[in-house]
Amino acid sequence: MDFPNLYEELFYKALRIRLVEERIIELYPSDKIQSPVHLSIGQEAVAVGACQSLKPTDLLFCSYRSHAFYLAKGGNLREMFAELYGKVTGCCEGKGGSMHLAAPEVGLMGASAMVASTIPHAVGAALAAKRLKKDDQVIVAVFGDGATDEGAYHESLNFAALHKLPVIFLFENNGFAVHSRIVSRHAFQTLEHVRSYGIPVSHLSDGHDFMKVHEVFSGIVTDVRQTRSPHLIEIQTYRYREHVGVNEDYDAGYRSREELEGWKAKDPLILDQELVAKYRPAILEEIHGAVEFAETSPWPDKEHLLTDVI
Amino acid sequence: MSTVHTMISGTESQSVGEAMTYREALFQTMREALRQHPNVIIMGQGVDDHKGIFGSTRGLAQEFGSERVFDTPLAEDGMTGIAIGAALNGLYPIQTHMRVDFALLAMNQIINLAAKYKYMFGGRFEVPMLIRMVIGRSWGQGAQHSQSLQALFAHIPGLTVIMPANPQSVLECYPYAISKYRSPVISIEHRLLYDLKFRVDQASTEAKGPPWTSRKVRSGRGVTIVATSIMVLEALRAAEHLARAGGIDCEVIDLNCVSHPDKAVILESVEKTGKLLVADTSWQAYGVCAEVCRIMCEHAPSALKAPVVTVGMQPAPCPTAKTLEDLFYPSLEALTDDIAKLVTGENNHGIPLPDEHSFADVYKRFKGPF
Repeated sequence: MDFPNLYEELFYKALRIRLVEERIIELYPSDKIQSPVHLSIGQEAVAVGACQSLKPTDLLFCSYRSHAFYLAKGGNLREMFAELYGKVTGCCEGKGGSMHLAAPEVGLMGASAMVASTIPHAVGAALAAKRLKKDDQVIVAVFGDGATDEGAYHESLNFAALHKLPVIFLFENNGFAVHSRIVSRHAFQTLEHVRSYGIPVSHLSDGHDFMKVHEVFSGIVTDVRQTRSPHLIEIQTYRYREHVGVNEDYDAGYRSREELEGWKAKDPLILDQELVAKYRPAILEEIHGAVEFAETSPWPDKEHLLTDVI
Repeated sequence: MSTVHTMISGTESQSVGEAMTYREALFQTMREALRQHPNVIIMGQGVDDHKGIFGSTRGLAQEFGSERVFDTPLAEDGMTGIAIGAALNGLYPIQTHMRVDFALLAMNQIINLAAKYKYMFGGRFEVPMLIRMVIGRSWGQGAQHSQSLQALFAHIPGLTVIMPANPQSVLECYPYAISKYRSPVISIEHRLLYDLKFRVDQASTEAKGPPWTSRKVRSGRGVTIVATSIMVLEALRAAEHLARAGGIDCEVIDLNCVSHPDKAVILESVEKTGKLLVADTSWQAYGVCAEVCRIMCEHAPSALKAPVVTVGMQPAPCPTAKTLEDLFYPSLEALTDDIAKLVTGENNHGIPLPDEHSFADVYKRFKGPF
């Protein structure tokens, strides 16, 4: 699709992710998606802004909340819906589900439901990039603030800094590890701690602004591609829906609706209804086709149960 | 320790081959892997120091460079994840743990990630890597430097778990894992095997198919002994003694691959002997002993003419006091007695037991290096 400018291209990509997830919300009560879903609604700009400057050969590792990164990195939408439906045509043949999307053909290297567990994978892939002289390749580890509690995160920062590896740590901070805030979990200053490894740090509080994310992140990508050494960026964002599931949870008491409204008030996907109207029909048509594909695809059967174990 | 153990895996040939220690076989496979495959790296705590994982990697960092053979931070979980990521992007990592116990710190990456990556993503990824872990025993290794945790790993679909009992198995399994196999392999080595010499047949190490097979290492008609790792040696010593002292004819099977035991080899043997003893380096409950019993019960219970006997460590953490440690591990004397009882059906079988208190005499001389 051709776009008149970068803003509209990124807007379109972010809107597409949101509409996909809104369709998931509509479908969910039908029980056709038989797995937990962790929605990225509110966080789309981070994925879109970051992936814009990545090449398909750049590898990205992420977590169970990965619909946005899967799509932003170029993963196939029909295969994503088929995977959510548990169909054999899914990106993981129905064996992964929402939490384990993968699209290695575009560098989406697998999403794990164990918090922080793919951060060392990104560092290891960066080690391979360096050793095997893939001099143009950049590796990205995407994780949330919960992951910054984990030992694997600290171990990964240390090794990446020690061996000067071309990896970008994308700390997508939506404010909550499930329901708990970072202040109740950290005795340390998160970014100061990163700096103590000698890793350069960037911070962006406007996680809703895909243009800003793109601008800052593309600079980091260029830098890491050249210097072959790590960088960490924290991008603040906000998860509009509950941790897992399709509902809102502002009556649960751990956060206020005012907090949400603050983020919504600057959300381009809400503010710019003109562009929404421009691109929505085509996106809905694409989503309709993808859902249709998932609905009509066959289930994996007995012959798939024991394949690819070893 | 000048004894040469004349075992040639997969055959019962006593033909003279080159004599080689377990350590030398490990070193040879590590060096050849680096020499033949530019994408191989060896990573682990101490791989590049003067001890070099009990000699199995000594000098390799100097020969192949610190980019390919490197020391790691004491961060087992993270380092295993880094190995997985490296494998996903084209390297073949060989990771070492100087004790099996240390790998417990990496269980998330081993079980939740390495074992799952291929299946969970519909076959779209492969994680070819080798994780070497060493079992410690004797000289007060104690509760946290002595565990044989093969059952924990072999329980998990997606992992291939081997326990090479001799250099021949090392020479067959490691090159195959590194050059032909595309899934994670966990190899559990026994520290006390490192110094022992065996005859090997280097010419037959070129595996025709996957070498994850169980191997008949002694033929006999009186009883089938299925054993792992150093217990294969113990079983062979007991078998030789019983042949001399009691006319008992033992068949010994080296299980070799713990995750995928060769059912046919076990069943065929027990169909012939009617009696089964399982000797493992670990605890019996829920482990190799239990699994071999499951195989028998499910496939050929009527082949058994007597109840199965299992031999392993006592159901306690490993103690350090020598008096307790000697009781904790199965001795050659007790193993021999168990076999004699099973074969004769008599508790007072009258067959003299070995003079040496146990193969632990070898262990008793062991005072490191660790």
